[in-house]
Formats: sequence, structure tokens, C-alpha cells
Amino acid sequence: MTATTKVVRGVTLWRDPAREPCFDVVHHDIEMKNWPGVEGEAGREKLHRHMNNETGAIEIAAQCLADYPDAPWDLRMRLARQCADESRHSDVLLRRLRQMGGQKGEFPVANFEWGVTLMVDDLPGRLAIQNRTFEAGLIDILGTLRKVWRQSGDDTTADVLDGILADEITHVRFANQWIRRMTEEDPSVLLQVAKAVRFLAEANKAMQVDEDAVDAAGTKVQELKLQVEINVEGRLEAEFTEEEVMEVLKKAGFQSILPGRGGAA
Amino acid sequence: MITTVRERADCVATFRGVSVFLMETLARWVPTTPELEAKILMGRHIWEFAQHADQFGRRTHELRAALHFTRAPVPDYAKALDTLVSATATGDRIDGFYDVILLDVASRYRSYLEETDTMVDEPSVRILERVLTDIDRMRREREAMQAERPDLPRGPKQWLDALRRTVAGVPDFVDYREGRN
Repeated sequence: MTATTKVVRGVTLWRDPAREPCFDVVHHDIEMKNWPGVEGEAGREKLHRHMNNETGAIEIAAQCLADYPDAPWDLRMRLARQCADESRHSDVLLRRLRQMGGQKGEFPVANFEWGVTLMVDDLPGRLAIQNRTFEAGLIDILGTLRKVWRQSGDDTTADVLDGILADEITHVRFANQWIRRMTEEDPSVLLQVAKAVRFLAEANKAMQVDEDAVDAAGTKVQELKLQVEINVEGRLEAEFTEEEVMEVLKKAGFQSILPGRGGAA
Repeated sequence: MITTVRERADCVATFRGVSVFLMETLARWVPTTPELEAKILMGRHIWEFAQHADQFGRRTHELRAALHFTRAPVPDYAKALDTLVSATATGDRIDGFYDVILLDVASRYRSYLEETDTMVDEPSVRILERVLTDIDRMRREREAMQAERPDLPRGPKQWLDALRRTVAGVPDFVDYREGRN
């Protein structure tokens, strides 16, 4: 561990970004509180968790802007726009949380995405982890969650998630476009991407828990696993290739960044 | 008076440099500012300054300089900007950014509008008019955030006054290129 890092389950991660004292910042999912469904505190916790994840996404995009002043201007513009989008998402989720009787700091939060992404010291690698993996996963999760909220009768929250989903697709799309472009210009970028993705896989593996593990709310982790549908339409809009979407139905894939192979039209 | 294309390019390139600086300052502060409402405000405004920098950068090319030609402001002004960046408390950051530097930058944009030929240089004028409208809105959004978080401590008056005096002591922040027009 250094002044800028922390060690969680044997994995060195970037130290947490600043949070207000009202937040209980934890370091692993098992320390979070979670309940199945979206009724009452289960719903508020999901919004609270999502709000903190969106905040982390602002922070990651902002840190990329600060760390890579020589990145192509058009890419910096995309990152700047992403900062604004993620800020709106945090804001709208905070407001919805309050409307539902919740408040900041009501539940523990964790900053795993920040911790992993900031350990990577090149921009293609960060885009591969944050935008092309975490946010692409969010395309699937939001596609599923908005249905869950709507089925529960909460159209307001479902509509909020629908709006966020549209923005997230654009974030994944620009990362796909730029990684492809950078790889075509310099094939060694592919090594940076591969290294970043390998690090993420190792971190994910280290964070896995036993089947009978329970979280801080006493809920069995297995019970919490949401049946997430792969959002094929959303992923194609985000310019994953059809091959990649097929692959992600089995596992996450990165084929389109190989020069001369990928590329949706 | 600003009369030549080269002078205009230098001014607009400096406006771009300052806009990029303001964007990067907010970007640097977002992860290290604890208060969520302040983080959200900064995150939204990063995009505003990026758009300003982009418009200024396209205009420099029209003014016979490179696309996204960028000039740093004169050293004394750059020093004031560095003082702002070094702020660590949220109140210092917000007040220094919105009440001192952004106000000062806006007044310099207005001065440019008074000094340039508004017909010959109409594209620059239109950009600056839009940017000034954005700055007014950003300052209103900052006030709204402050109203939502009245508990946020304000920046120390002495520090803010010193920062104000430093920028006021720089009559023109454009570092003009040497050579013929």
C-alpha cells in the first residue's frame, strides 16, 4: 500500500476518491447492504449504489482529462461530455433517492471501478476497463433494471434509467471508436488494452466470494444475482460488432480492436 | 484597439488556453472534492469549458493560425491561475473559481468585444456572446448549489481578495507573438 493505493484481497487498487463523512466507504461488495427486488430500502439501496457508481464515472473521466493533456482534442471533448453526463446521472439519482425518502450515506458505498481503472496508467487501457467493460455492463444492467422498476409500477424510476441508458451507450460507443482508431494507428495500443483487461480479470477473480457468503445486510449473495439480459440492441448501438455481441453472450470479448478485423459500419 | 488578424488570433488563442485550463482545473478537483453537490457542479461545467475551448480553437484557424492554436496567458496571470489550482478546501475552490477567476475572465471577454471591430470580427463576437451567456448560467448554477448546501464554508476573504488583486494587476493577459502582423 502507498499514499495513493490500497490493498483489497491481495489486489492493489487506487485509493478511494474523496467522499463526504456521511458516506460509509467500504472496499468489497460483501461489505455493502443489498436486498432482492426494488421495494422500500431494496430500491433505495439500488439507487444509492448507482448514484455512487455514476459519481465514480465522473471522477474517472475527469481524472483522464487531467492525466492526459496530450490526448487528441476530439477524445478529450468526449471525456468532457462524459463528465457532464455522469454528473447529470448522479444528480438525477440523488433527487430520485430523496423523492423516495432516501438520503446520501443511507447505505455503504464502494469505489471498485475507480480503484481498478486508476491503476492503469494509459488512456486506451482506462477506456477499455471503464467505458468498454464497466459501462458496457451497465448497458445490460440498465436494460434489465428499467424493466424491473416498470414491472414494480415505478415508471418514474424506469424512465430515469432509460435516459441514463441512452447516455451510457454513447460513452461505450466513443470508447469503441477511439480504441479501434488508436489501435489502427499504433498496434502496440492493443497490448495496453490487453494488459488492462487482464488486470481487471485478476481483480474480479480476487473479489469473488463463496456461494454461501452473506453481505452486510445479512442477505445471501447468491439471492442477489440479478438475471441480467444481454442488451444486444444497446451493445450494437454502442458499436460492438455482431461477433462481439455474440461472444459476450458467452463471455466479454475484445475482437473489434484488432486492426483490420473489427468495425461496425 | 484590436485591429489585426494576428492580434485577434493571439487573443482567441489565449481565450482557448484559459478555457482549457479552467476545464482541467475542474477535472483535477472533481475526485478530490468530497461534497457530492460540488462535484456534480464541477463535472457539468467541465463540458462547458471544453465547448468554449473547441469554439475558440476553430476560430483561431479562421484567423490564419493553426486549428486549436493555444496561447498561455502572460506569466503574472498564469501565476494567479496556479494559485487557484492549489486551493484544497471546497469553499476556496468554488469561490476562487466562480467569484474571482471566472468573473475576471468574463470581464476580459467583454473588453475584447469593446475593442474589436464587431463587423470584421463578427464570428469571434458571436462566440464570445454565447460564452458569456454560458458563464452567467454557470454562475447561477453555482448559486443554486450553494443554496442547496448552505453548510459549505465560504473561501477566506483575505485569500480571495489577494487573488482578486493579482488578476486585477494584469491589464492584458494576452501574450502576443513577436514579429510582423
